[in-house]
Amino acid sequence: MSNAILVVGGGFSGLTAAIEAAELGHDVYIVEKSPWLGGRVAQLNKYFPKLCPPSCGLEIQFQRIRKNPRIHVLTMAEVVGLSGQKGDYNVRVAIKPRKTPPHNVDFTFLASSLDGTTPSEFDLGLSERKGLYKAMPFAYPARYVLDTDTLSKADMARLAANEKLNMDEEPREVSLQVGAIVVATGWKPYDVTNLSNLGAGSVKNCVSNMQLERLASPFGPTQGNIVRPSDGRIPHNVAFVQCAGSRDQNHLNFCSYICCMATLKHCLYLAEQHPQTEVTVFYIDLRAPGRYVKVLEKVQALPNVHFIKGKVANVEQGKDNTCVIQAEDAIRGEKLTLNYDMVVLATGMQPSLATEKLPLPVPVDSDGFITGGEEAGIYACGCALMPLDVTRSAQSGTAAALKAVQTVKGR
Amino acid sequence: MAQCLIKPDIDFARSLSEAGGESLKKCYQCATCAVACPMAPANAPYPRKEMVWASWGLKDKLTSDVDIWLCHNCGNCSDLCPRGANPADVMSAARNTVYKTLTEPTCVGELMSKPQGLPILFGIPALLWLIVWWLRAGFNGGTWFPTRADGSIVFGDIFYGDYTIDPIFMLTFFGALFIIARGAMKLWKMFSPEGKLTVVGEKKCWVWHLWDVLVEEVIFATHFDDCQKGPKTGKPEAGRRVGHTILVWAFCALAFVTAVVALGHWGGKVIPAIEITTPLKPLNLIKIIANVGALMLVVGLAMLTIRRFMENKKTHTSNYYDWYLLGVIWAVALTGIFSQIFRLAEAVGPAFLVYYLHLVFVWMLFAYLPWSKLGHLVYRTVALLHVRMYGRKY
Ligand SMILES: Cc1cc2nc3c(=O)[nH]c(=O)nc-3n(C[C@H](O)[C@H](O)[C@H](O)COP(=O)(O)OP(=O)(O)OC[C@H]3O[C@@H](n4cnc5c(N)ncnc54)[C@H](O)[C@@H]3O)c2cc1C
Ligand code: SF4
Ligand code: SF4
Repeated sequence: MSNAILVVGGGFSGLTAAIEAAELGHDVYIVEKSPWLGGRVAQLNKYFPKLCPPSCGLEIQFQRIRKNPRIHVLTMAEVVGLSGQKGDYNVRVAIKPRKTPPHNVDFTFLASSLDGTTPSEFDLGLSERKGLYKAMPFAYPARYVLDTDTLSKADMARLAANEKLNMDEEPREVSLQVGAIVVATGWKPYDVTNLSNLGAGSVKNCVSNMQLERLASPFGPTQGNIVRPSDGRIPHNVAFVQCAGSRDQNHLNFCSYICCMATLKHCLYLAEQHPQTEVTVFYIDLRAPGRYVKVLEKVQALPNVHFIKGKVANVEQGKDNTCVIQAEDAIRGEKLTLNYDMVVLATGMQPSLATEKLPLPVPVDSDGFITGGEEAGIYACGCALMPLDVTRSAQSGTAAALKAVQTVKGR
Repeated sequence: MAQCLIKPDIDFARSLSEAGGESLKKCYQCATCAVACPMAPANAPYPRKEMVWASWGLKDKLTSDVDIWLCHNCGNCSDLCPRGANPADVMSAARNTVYKTLTEPTCVGELMSKPQGLPILFGIPALLWLIVWWLRAGFNGGTWFPTRADGSIVFGDIFYGDYTIDPIFMLTFFGALFIIARGAMKLWKMFSPEGKLTVVGEKKCWVWHLWDVLVEEVIFATHFDDCQKGPKTGKPEAGRRVGHTILVWAFCALAFVTAVVALGHWGGKVIPAIEITTPLKPLNLIKIIANVGALMLVVGLAMLTIRRFMENKKTHTSNYYDWYLLGVIWAVALTGIFSQIFRLAEAVGPAFLVYYLHLVFVWMLFAYLPWSKLGHLVYRTVALLHVRMYGRKY
């Protein structure tokens, strides 16, 4: 019997669940696959409703984690096995070697002297990272990761003598005793290479909405300047392609809820940075739920933002690395073929569990969203459950924490 | 602002669903399909507008729409449609509605629209040729399966050309031609916009436009290749051009043979030098063309039929009109080939029976042409001619 709680996934919903449960006096283990906490929110430039940078919300969460000895964070970790039953689970967790010291050492200088690189996962391929790296300045844990696969021969030689690094650290496995489990595995951007008619990710200067967040971020590949990836030029005109792979039975068969709002936010980024840039949003319907309608009204009032009803169904490479798009303006009944300096595909959120399986008894629907598990003391929250914004992800995290607490209480 | 009163016809929407456009209610007007279709022109793209007309039951708009004929049913739109609304099937259902209702007597259209009508449609020529058979059997002293002294079989001994086959087929053929010509004229009027439309740019006489249409569309079916110029669907492309072209050429060859034989036979009565008597010898040039034509017919048919079977049933359904036409042409081709084989094998019973069926099916092919999918030969040509006259290519 254990009254500890396991949280799988350290994104906004998982962190909220972990903190709530720990502050109620339970031991909590966060098992996070990536090297840092924060999930997808950490990749955003700013997030609504307040349009503050991710550090502001995450910073508070990290403070609470730092201060709370009940929370144990396992990064680069994944659940690989489960035995026992509700109230008394034994969970096996595999941990990949980080190869850097357990305390916070600043490797900035050393890292910049390396020459082996690989495309950055955090910047979604828009930049290259070194073999010794930290994705963002406010990362938690603030530790670097040594990825030996990316090191060049010279890098290897240079790092071999560094006694702070442990090049030969082995993967290990730990087992945890917990009474309940919160699954907060979140989402990933829908893979654009599936969208054959939208260029399948091969059209230059046609980026995804998450890539645009990285371009707009001060810690991103362009220090926050929204420019064309191919030549670093400010785009004169930008098109947004709504529902790119969403509400589509051939791709994501649901409305991703957030991408209309994300696009409106991106219009604000552009209007602020490049007021001259003409922006056109191609949509089927614009979804601004609840009070978000205020944002829609604000964006609609911007002089250089235009809306066209009609889904973009073709994107091809144009001259000078422009993007040629085709859509029917369904209100005027006209088929448009237009050239843009840059095109943003408003791709949706696909649940992580659509393509990977957890060794936990949680049922998922055909889209990959969790549909049950509560009878086994397993509670889902955040985008693992349904497409949600940050506020509602956090709320669902709290809800899952309370259910988990009730499951283990008094044991 | 101009106002327009919408009069939805629910029965029509329902009948469209029955005619093959079942999925139409799923459409949410995203307009992907209009982009998916490489043929849809920029200023009046389809099939999104047809989807909304169809679901609102706007029958007049849909049946007088020229664009339903410009659709070549490649299915790009259905492949890319995010909702599985199968716009290509709806376009095809709209065409079927025109086959059913365009020309008088519409009761034939009614019978042609569903399998339940088949017994009557088959029964009419079956009875007709049975009477002919019975009458001739009387002339032959009551023999229903006559053979010549040398054991050879001559179909003319029963189905005598001059008094039965030729007049009946000429009547049927020209009757159908008359009916379909009336339909074509009606369709042309329906297509024509109200008021006057000025066409700027180069103009051509309609005869030349018709020539272009016949060469590009009918003889070479070049637009099937244009179908593949649309956005990438990520699905294998169905090459329909070859099968369709082979079929068209086969028909041309067989029509040529029929015309030559008819001319030789009837003309021979005036100018003995050009007289042709049937059955032709196997190595006769005309006979060779006939047999090559028949072979091409089977090859083309096989290609088109296999394609229909291989289709992704989720995004593309073949409807009754498709199967009726394929079925009748198959029947014509197979009975034609087998009657010849049985004749040469001197199997008298099967030979006459199969030849009789051959006549039944050929009659069905021609007599019901205005209400069958084969009508597209004329209706689509009219539509293409119409848009070309108004400055569009297709
Ligand atoms: C372009 C875009 C812009 C957005 N902008 C906003 C905005 O401005 N405001 C807003 O409110 N929302 C916004 N969102 C939505 C927001 O990103 C989500 O609401 C939020 O990320 C949900 O958090 P989460 O914790 O459920 O999932 P995630 O953030 O995805 O976190 C899940 C975590 O689980 C980890 N994980 C996954 N699988 C495993 C596993 N098997 N084992 C261990 N760990 C695992 C992941 O590494 C990740 O750290 C935006 C979304 C998009 C697409
Ligand atoms: S939120 Fe908007 S862009 Fe995203 S799937 Fe829904 S309607 Fe499409
Ligand atoms: S038929 Fe399909 S692709 Fe066309 S508008 Fe409707 S939903 Fe969109």
